[in-house]
Amino acid sequence: MSISPFLRSPFTDITGGMLSHQMLGKCQKEEIRYMDCLEAYGLDRGRVKCAHIFEDFHECQTNTKQFKRFMAMRRERDRQIADGKLKGDNKYVSPKVDSY
Amino acid sequence: MADACQVVRKQDLPPPGGYKPIPFKRVPAKQYFSGYTLFAGYIGMTIGAIYLYRLNALRIQKHEVEMRSSKMAIYPMLLAERDREYLKQLRRNRDAEAELMKDVPGWEVGTYYGEPVYKLVPQDTLVEPIFHEYYAHTNPVDWFRRAYIKLRS
Repeated sequence: MSISPFLRSPFTDITGGMLSHQMLGKCQKEEIRYMDCLEAYGLDRGRVKCAHIFEDFHECQTNTKQFKRFMAMRRERDRQIADGKLKGDNKYVSPKVDSY
Repeated sequence: MADACQVVRKQDLPPPGGYKPIPFKRVPAKQYFSGYTLFAGYIGMTIGAIYLYRLNALRIQKHEVEMRSSKMAIYPMLLAERDREYLKQLRRNRDAEAELMKDVPGWEVGTYYGEPVYKLVPQDTLVEPIFHEYYAHTNPVDWFRRAYIKLRS
């Protein structure tokens, strides 16, 4: 399978794409949806039309939004602890061992 | 010169009857077994040992099967318990997030300032959290205990 219109760089021009999420990866659905969309609209229009689909795929690949969420929550919690709003046992909500 | 040698001198001579004979013959140790008996004993003991070894090995095999069966029997329950605790903790995390971020303007629970994590999935889909998100509200001690579990085990 070639990934070249979908992701293009000098390296994909001289080599074949050998890895993708279609090998039962976590982002299988997001990737195939984005590639189908690109196939339907072409590369240039697809970039605009498939922006939402791309964002989902990007999120699945990088987990950026989830990490940003964590950063915001931790910052807020640290701030509240520093302000003295959270005290004692209310400071943290710890999960039980072996649950993740 | 003859006058000087008058004293009778005693010459060193063999004892009467001559010296005892020199024991030059080899004295071998007493042999309890012949070579063939040794071979037969070796083979017999080996066979006996193999028999005993086999008895023991069978017992150990039985124990191993028993242990494996027990583990396989208990595994689904442990898995289900883990999943149950995971889902419960997701709810606890959600509630903690709602409680924590209620004063933050523009924040909705499960989103990044109102922006959903995945835009095109249905509303009731379970978006699995990454480690950081799952442990976002955790005491740092527990965090590090889980994050570096491989260094500890």
